[in-house]
Order: sequence, then structure tokens, then C-alpha cells
Amino acid sequence: MGVRPTTTSTSPTPREMYQKSNSSSPSLVGSIMRSLKSSHSIRRLSAGEDAENGNHDSLQKSNYHRARSLNSNGSAQSHGRGVSHIHLSPLRKSSSGNGSFHKDKHSSHSQKRDKYFADLDEDWSAVIEDYNMPIPMISNGGVELRPPVTVGSRRSETGESRSPSAGYPNLPQLNKSRSSDLKSQYEQENEREVQALNSLMHRVAKFDAILNPTHGNQVNVSELRRLSWNGVPMVHRPSVWRLLIGYASANIKRQSSLLQRKRQDYRDGVELVFSKDHTRDLPTWHQIEIDIPRTNPFIPLYQFPLVQESLQRILYLWAIRHPASGYVQGINDLVTPFYQTFLTEYLPPAQKEDVDKICPDTYLSREQLLDVEADSFWCLTKLLEQITDNYIHGQPGILKQVKNLGQLVKRIDSDLYDHFSQENVEFIQFAFRWMNCLLMREFSMSMVIRMWDTYLSETSLDSTSSAAAEAPSSSLPPDSSLQNSPGGAFRETVTSAKFQGKHNAAATSRQTSLSEFHVFVCAAFLIKFSEQLIGMDFQETITFLQNPPTKTWTESEIELLLSEAYIWQSLYKDATSHWR
Amino acid sequence: MNTSVTSIKLVLLGEAAVGKSSIVLRFVSNDFAENKEPTIGAAFLTQRVNMGDHTIKFEIWDTAGQERFASLAPMYYRNAQAALVVYDVTKPQSFIKARHWVKELHEQASRDIIIALVGNKLDIIENGGERKVAREEAENLAQQEGLLFFETSAKSGSNVNEVFLGIGQKISLKPAQNAQDGGQGSSGLRINDDSRIDLRAPYGQSSAAGSCNC
Repeated sequence: MGVRPTTTSTSPTPREMYQKSNSSSPSLVGSIMRSLKSSHSIRRLSAGEDAENGNHDSLQKSNYHRARSLNSNGSAQSHGRGVSHIHLSPLRKSSSGNGSFHKDKHSSHSQKRDKYFADLDEDWSAVIEDYNMPIPMISNGGVELRPPVTVGSRRSETGESRSPSAGYPNLPQLNKSRSSDLKSQYEQENEREVQALNSLMHRVAKFDAILNPTHGNQVNVSELRRLSWNGVPMVHRPSVWRLLIGYASANIKRQSSLLQRKRQDYRDGVELVFSKDHTRDLPTWHQIEIDIPRTNPFIPLYQFPLVQESLQRILYLWAIRHPASGYVQGINDLVTPFYQTFLTEYLPPAQKEDVDKICPDTYLSREQLLDVEADSFWCLTKLLEQITDNYIHGQPGILKQVKNLGQLVKRIDSDLYDHFSQENVEFIQFAFRWMNCLLMREFSMSMVIRMWDTYLSETSLDSTSSAAAEAPSSSLPPDSSLQNSPGGAFRETVTSAKFQGKHNAAATSRQTSLSEFHVFVCAAFLIKFSEQLIGMDFQETITFLQNPPTKTWTESEIELLLSEAYIWQSLYKDATSHWR
Repeated sequence: MNTSVTSIKLVLLGEAAVGKSSIVLRFVSNDFAENKEPTIGAAFLTQRVNMGDHTIKFEIWDTAGQERFASLAPMYYRNAQAALVVYDVTKPQSFIKARHWVKELHEQASRDIIIALVGNKLDIIENGGERKVAREEAENLAQQEGLLFFETSAKSGSNVNEVFLGIGQKISLKPAQNAQDGGQGSSGLRINDDSRIDLRAPYGQSSAAGSCNC
């Protein structure tokens, strides 16, 4: 279970969740989920080795979002100005902190975090007390030039603080009650911004540290997965995605030469396929040609001829290299998050957020554009390797996922399931697209990209298991038949060894199945609207589910969804073991 | 006197990008979008039309055109009372595909399904583009196979409503004829306003019992 943390041993939440699922009070689930979410890190604790890191991530996370949204509203400069207003806060220094500071901070805090989370489980209010205690703005005038880290550790040294929480989010709000009369709201907001920025910086630093290991040449990919599950900062996303999906090498010494080779491979492939000697597969070419202008028609980026040509080359090359599947509508959607993400790599920092509006050749050279194209091609290839069954003849992968979704909803929310049966709503009528396009049609592009941070963390192609393990295990006879068969004893030992092997393979693929996790995400997505849906008839239901009000979802809603999916998956993993 | 409401379950079939979704969008919302995302699986829409003293409610399944999704189509046309088989008047290939769909519907769909053959994108020809599917060729097919036939432009809106009205007329005539024949009148078509046809109900069977012509 390296990748995903489990919930089972850490908190009562899963049990409550389960009880809830039988007694159905969505608000309860909501609140549990929310608390679970805010203590996201709980999930990480049981993952073992480094609980502190995990905690850290998730909490940092919410701040990171705030920072992001601030970023999009205001500008980097305004943060800068804001800082000067809150000189009392020791936290402000973090905004000017850099990577190495944050690393220090992290290590100096680590042993404290255990306590924090122990408290969290038993008594929230205790933690809140803790929050309040250190908050009084110790006027650390002398610490001005130090990173926040130092502030935190010094406080604990001197016993001024009982809490390691100085670096955590939400402080300003709690703080407000104490000192609201002392500070203007403006100052408080600034402070919040600074803290958000602080944690963003911290998070960026953590990714920096993982991507540039100080000892050894290997990027710790499992650590990277853990961290990325909760979202990847935009600046790191291109390199992180390349690693997570198994395209870039984790060996940093070889990384760039291998990348170069793959990019050259792509160029060669394109040259070959579009050379005179090569007969064009016209039906495929035609199909892609008509779909390209219809890809993300509302995003300006995809209207530039330059971009359309790139995508067309990628899709065509992929299609003819994968004749069993060929090009299937929906794959044109799947390439775009990659393309857009890899473009950001070459945009100036201030323009990265506008990647969906800028014509790429404003900033990118021809060669860079081809690199973006090559990276998108290889990552698309890696992604589709995991879900080939979705696109081959008859689309068995999708049919299976839709069926699994139905069974899952039957277990999790039988009221909704029964209602659907009564109204003759069939899952395939709305969920086919969810599977075929990985819910991309349901969310805005930036939310899809955030979702893929998790999806790519959730699945792993660096093990060889993904495709190989699944096919044979499904055709295995059940245990009992083996035991009952004549000559059992001998065969039993043989087969049990065989089973062992299969089992291991299955165990590895357990953490590598994108399709499986996606089904849980779809279940969480559907159940989110359970209350509304139960009041709807067939037409209303189908109409609603074809245009769910989720295009405006924000990152926190996406993350809640992913967390819920994660919970369902941990709760129902036994029930769904036969999926593999 | 209550106005009766007839629900018609209608399915659209045809090659990718011939304008199936655009025809529906024009009919349902009187709108047009130049580049619509390809339909995946199928999309469901409804529209009511008043015809004389009663209302027809179209329940429309707009299917995905790409060949790979074709295995889903039977699910949508199996219990349909009407089908639009759409092609693009500037794409001969799409007309070949249309022939295939007509054949498949005659073999697999409900026996008395009403099929309309629809040549779309007429606006391209009106604006100087080259017609690649002759009107006569399509008319011949329609006559041989007993289809309604229309040429439309979802972009300009020309003739789109007529397709649906044509289907509505043909279907609402049927129960009346049946009634004259001896009382199988309702045949599951005339239903109350707030109910709808059960998509899984063996519609074909019940009507076959009364109105089979063979």
C-alpha cells in the first residue's frame, strides 16, 4: 500500500461513514467528509513511514489553494505589498523564504506533528486551544530576517509555545477572536494571504527537494506520489507528471538524455508517418480532422491552428501505432491536459496561468513546441496503456466500469439505486461518457488538471503488473473448485504457489488501476447529487446528469470528491476485489 | 376536453460529424454552435410540439456517430418509434453509412418504426459548396425503403422542424387507423401528460399484435 494511505486504523471515520451509508443523512456524511478532509493527513498516518510529512502536505495544501486563488485574482505584487502591513506576524517572513528555509522548518517540526495529530483524533477542541495559545503575536522584532521555521522552533525551545502549529493554516481566523479589536480586517486578510503564500512556498520547496535529491540520483517516486496526490504546484507539474506516469526516468542523471531520446523518437515517428512513402490511413485521419476543431471549443488555446495541427499529429501517430484501438472520440479530450500542462513549462511565470489563452508561439520556439508535442504524445500513450480496454472494439473496459459503478452505488446508496431502477434509468445512459472521457466533460480544464494530479499519483506504470496481471487473474477458477478436485493435495500446493503469484500481481495492480479508482470517483460524484436525483423522474435525471452543475466547481470541491472516492475505495476494497 | 399528449421516442443515427446533435439543438433550442464537442455515448433531450388538438412530446436520444460506439446503438433504437438517419449532403461516405443504418433498423428495430432520411448541411451547397449526394439518389432510397425524406440545414434552421412534424404526423395517424381497424387504438402511444413511455416496455410486441401487416 505504498501509494495510498489507508483510513482503516486511524480514525473512527470510516466506520461512521459506513453507518451513515446505511442510515443516509447526507449532511452527516458531508460533515464527516469535511472534517476528514481538513485532517486529510489522517489518511497518511497509516501509510506508515512518514506520518509527519503526510500531515504536512495536506494542511499545507489548503493554504496552497488559497494562494492560488489569490494569485489569480490579484497579483504577486499585491502579496508583496500586503506583507509590509503585518510586520507583527512572525509568519510573514515565510513569504520571502526560499526552499532551503522550508526544508529546515520541516525537519525541526517533524516530531511535534505526531502530537498534533494524536490530538486531532481525540479532541478537536484541544487542538484549537493549541492553536490559540501561540498565536499572540510575540513581537519578535529580532527575528525579522529569519525564516518562519526558526520562529517556530525557537518558541518551542523557550517553552513559549505548546504547539507546533505555528506554520499551519487557519490561524488568522482563530486568532481573530482574540485580537480583532487590535487589527483591521485588512491586516487580517493580508496575514491570511501571507500564510497562504507561506504554505505554497513550503509546498513548492517540498517538491523541489524531491525532484532534486541531495543524495543519490533517484527521485523517490513513491514519495512523490504521496505528495502529488494532494495536488502539484503548477511550476512542478510538467516534470512531476512525466515522472508519475512513467515517461521520464526517476534517475536524474539519465533523465534529460532519455527525454531527449524519446522526443527525438517522436520527431522521427512523425517524419516517417507523414512522409511520402507512408500511405495515409484516411478514415482515421478524417475522423481526427473533424474532431480537432471540436476539441475544447470554448478554450481559446485550442482554436489556434498551430495547436490544432500539433494535436492532430499526436492523435494520428498514436492511432496508427495502436491499431487494436485506433482513434476513438474522447481520446482527443484526454490529450489536452497533457498538452496544456507541458506548455506551461515554457511560459514565463506570470503567463503560466493564462496558458489557455496565449498562442504558444508567442513564447515557444519551434523546437520547444515539438518537445511539448512529444511529451504529450508519450504521456498520452502511457495513460492509454492503462485503459486500453476502454477503446478497443466493443469497449469492454467501459462496460465493465459502468457495471461496477452500478454495483457500487447499489451498496453505497441503495435508495438511489432503487430509485434509478424504478425510473428505468440505466447507468450506461449517463456513465458511459464519464468513463470514456474520465469525467473531463463534467469539469473545467483547470479542475481536470488538478484531478489528474491525483489520478496520476494513484496509478503506477513503473510496475509491470498493470496490463499483465489483470487478464489472467480474471480467468482463474475459484478456490473451492481446486480443493474439491481429485488429486487435490498435490495440485493444491502447486496452485497455491500459483495463486500466491497471482495474488501478488493483483496486489501490485491494486494500486495501479486507474479504472478502478475512477469508478469510485464516479460513485462519489453521483452520490453527491443523491438527494436531488431521488426527487427526479427519468427525463430530469438524465438531463441533470448530462449537464451536472459542476463546470464551476473549485479545487476544494474536486478535492473533496477525490477524498470521498478514496474513502469509498478503502471501505469497499474487499467487496470490489473481484473487479480485477 | 383534455389535450392528449403523445410521447415519441426518437433516435438519431448517422456518421460522425454529419450534424445529428446540431439538428437536435436546432429543434430543441433553436440554436446553433459551429463546433460542438463530439457526442460520447448518447445525449438525451426532449421537446414538445403542438399539433392540432394534441401535443407530441419527443424524447430524443442523440447517439454518438463514431463507428466504435455503434455497439451502443441497439440500446437506443430498440424501443424507438422513430429514427432520423442523418447524412451530410457533401460527404458521400456518410450516405453509404446512412444506407447501413436504414438496413440495420429494418432488421433490428421495432417493425413499425418510422424512419426519416435526413440530408444535412444544405447551407454549404446554398453557399456555393459542392453537393456530393444527389437528391434523387436519396429520394430513391427513401422510396424503396419507405422512409420520410428531408434535406435540412441545422445551421440555418431550414427544414429542421419539418422533419419532426413529419414524424409526428405519421405517428399520430397510426393509432387512429388502428382504431378503425378494430380497436387496438391506444397501442401504448397515447399517454397522460405526466407519464412517459417505459423505455423497456416491449412496445414492439404490443403493437405487432394488433397492427402487423404481413
